[in-house]
Amino acid sequence: MTHTFSRTTLRDAWTLTRTELRTYVRHVTGSSRQTVGVAFMVLAFGVLFPLTFIGSATAFGEALATGSVPLGSAGVAFAVVLSVAGYVGAAGGFNQERVGQIGPLVRTSIPPLAVSLGRFANRSLQALAIFVPATLVLLAGVAVGAGGPVAPLLVAVAVVPLFAVGLVGGRIVGDLVRYANERLAVSLWIKAVLMIVLMVAIFVGTQLLLNSQYEGGGAYGTVIAGPVLPGQPLQALASVVFAPLGAAVQPLGLVVAAATLAAIPVGLVVAMRLETRMLVQDLGSDAAGVTQSHGVPRLFEVTPSTRVAWRYLLRTRRDPRTLAHLSPLLFGAMGMAGSAVQDPGIVLSLGPAAAVVAGAVLAGGAYGLNPLGDDRDQLPLLLTSTPSVGVVLRGRMLAGIALGLVVAVGIGAPLGLVEHGPGYVLGQSVLAVFLATASTGIAVGLGAVVPKFERREYMSVERAHPSQWAMMGFFFGGLIVGAIGFVLLWATLSGESLIAVALGWLVYVVVLGLAAGGGYRYAVSRMDAFTLDDV
Amino acid sequence: MTAPSPAISTRDLTKRYGSTTAVDGLTFEVPSGVVYGFLGPNGAGKTTTMRMLTGLIEPTDGDGFVAGTHCTERRHLVDHIGLLPEEPPLYGELTAREQLQFAADLRDLSWESVEERALGLADSLGLVPDLDRRVDGFSKGMKQKTAFIQTVQHDPEVVFLDEPTSGLDPRAARTLRELIVDLAAADTTVFLSTHILPVVEEIADQVGVLYDGRLVSEGSPADLTAGVGGDGEADLEDAFLELTDEPAAAWG
Repeated sequence: MTHTFSRTTLRDAWTLTRTELRTYVRHVTGSSRQTVGVAFMVLAFGVLFPLTFIGSATAFGEALATGSVPLGSAGVAFAVVLSVAGYVGAAGGFNQERVGQIGPLVRTSIPPLAVSLGRFANRSLQALAIFVPATLVLLAGVAVGAGGPVAPLLVAVAVVPLFAVGLVGGRIVGDLVRYANERLAVSLWIKAVLMIVLMVAIFVGTQLLLNSQYEGGGAYGTVIAGPVLPGQPLQALASVVFAPLGAAVQPLGLVVAAATLAAIPVGLVVAMRLETRMLVQDLGSDAAGVTQSHGVPRLFEVTPSTRVAWRYLLRTRRDPRTLAHLSPLLFGAMGMAGSAVQDPGIVLSLGPAAAVVAGAVLAGGAYGLNPLGDDRDQLPLLLTSTPSVGVVLRGRMLAGIALGLVVAVGIGAPLGLVEHGPGYVLGQSVLAVFLATASTGIAVGLGAVVPKFERREYMSVERAHPSQWAMMGFFFGGLIVGAIGFVLLWATLSGESLIAVALGWLVYVVVLGLAAGGGYRYAVSRMDAFTLDDV
Repeated sequence: MTAPSPAISTRDLTKRYGSTTAVDGLTFEVPSGVVYGFLGPNGAGKTTTMRMLTGLIEPTDGDGFVAGTHCTERRHLVDHIGLLPEEPPLYGELTAREQLQFAADLRDLSWESVEERALGLADSLGLVPDLDRRVDGFSKGMKQKTAFIQTVQHDPEVVFLDEPTSGLDPRAARTLRELIVDLAAADTTVFLSTHILPVVEEIADQVGVLYDGRLVSEGSPADLTAGVGGDGEADLEDAFLELTDEPAAAWG
């Protein structure tokens, strides 16, 4: 099989790109929720982002106009462009499942190289649609500051190839990670742990790099940013780009410029060949292996709901992707890890409370936020097998509580014992059990209000994930509610204002109890009245 | 002495989606312990009818009763029915055995109470060696076998089967046909929707032909084929084609 960039290949690739773009646009415009989501994203990146930095862009232009080229600031900006493009490229390389439904047709209709090119072009154009408007606004700011078009043109001359390099470089990284993910003959859990370790390592590494500062210059001598790459090569590149405005050209800059230009075609060829190779290879399936049936452990044998709960836990044990929607929690944990690297003391001071809150949020978030959509394919079984779907909901809640308490009590209590006394740990554990239980009731209620049946890709897992709004509301609400609980716990143990504290607990327990009970009852009534016409 | 009540009865059962009528005033009865072949071309309304009768969707008009229970009373209906939809509703992460246990849990039945029947069916269908394999590694036929067992393991009074032989190899398909006949012999009513007409001709006691949401003919397979013109050697396929031909269907 030959893989060459022939005219026919390019034409086929463009056909695929056009079709996928059209499908994407119709998908977005066909659903008001999708439209609002995309509009919000465009607003955030296309309007708010440039508005936030328009002042800096103008000041940058002014600095260029004075002949004092701020290499440090240019290096930061270039690093941001490279990082953003790298992220977009990596995400596109790693997430290749969306092509899904038309995949088999495409694979058997046009050359594999055209498929790879078409997908790459589609993803890149989607990214450009978001970033180009913001970039134009910022370039306009530079033009205003500089008082002419030369400065923004020079910025564009640097930014375009950097964006392209980031895109293809990120794409290669994403492809390689996907390749490793698909080839590794280990359990999905080990892969998940490896992925988490990799993400934490990248995040913490980035935090450590915060200490490195770019060489100051002009009005931006005090800029401290989080450079993802060491700044020196990019500053050197800036010296070449801004040579027409008086910057002293650094020899390293010439090397970087040449390497950047050369890396674009080479990177593209490497990425496309890699993707094409993966496209035509049968990488096997994780599910093909023979497993063993597991009976229900005694602890979960008590009622139909507990037995159902065990099945949910068993499914997660076999496939952690059922919890892919909880990735935002992971990002929160990464934030904690980054802070812990800089100040290890917080592991003991904030760790116990963080474990309790995370466990409570995990309890509700694991199986509660989209009960109808999660079981979309199994609804004919569920709805015709049990008088009330309450048994399934309770099973989901119990499974969530079991999972959440492993974190909230299993991690929170030992951590708490290091820094606090048994009284505090007991109080914390009681709070953990209450929060985890309440969390599940609130979650299923929320999930029943905004069920999501459409399959979509999230963290490289394609399924009916919960509503993003419901998830974010639930996670942040969980943080606030958890924090209030710990304030009350602290006030209780301090022994002051006992009546006020007791009143506080009363309100706290009643409000959360009503919310949880109401959420559960709503979910049961909603699901029992549910028909397939509602899908 | 009163006549036994039918296992399934409908009266003007209708389902509309906006201006489209999917099922149009369906009235028929299915006696207990028979295999009722429910035929019709694509889009005739077979699946919609099945969904209404199993409580998965609500009729727009009319009534449907299954085992004496109104089809909108899902809470009570579930005690009497088993449903095998076109897409087997299985969890890929579970093994076939765990899936069957899960289905029993949903009905608050102990696995011990259904195990013998379930394993007997698995043995008949040749699924025993695969019972401890994960469902997402199964072929379509194996999924279909698992879903069939899940549908009937609790010994329901009325079983709804939508294309049950889909994806099965000839041997398994024959076994399944025999199992369906056995179910009917044990007084279970089988409501069978399929496009494989020889299967219906072989095992159905009664046949209803749906066309454009309306029942255009009903009777035994012999009754239906007898009504077809020609040399007298017509089979159910000929009858079906004639009944669902545009002008002929207008007759119904």
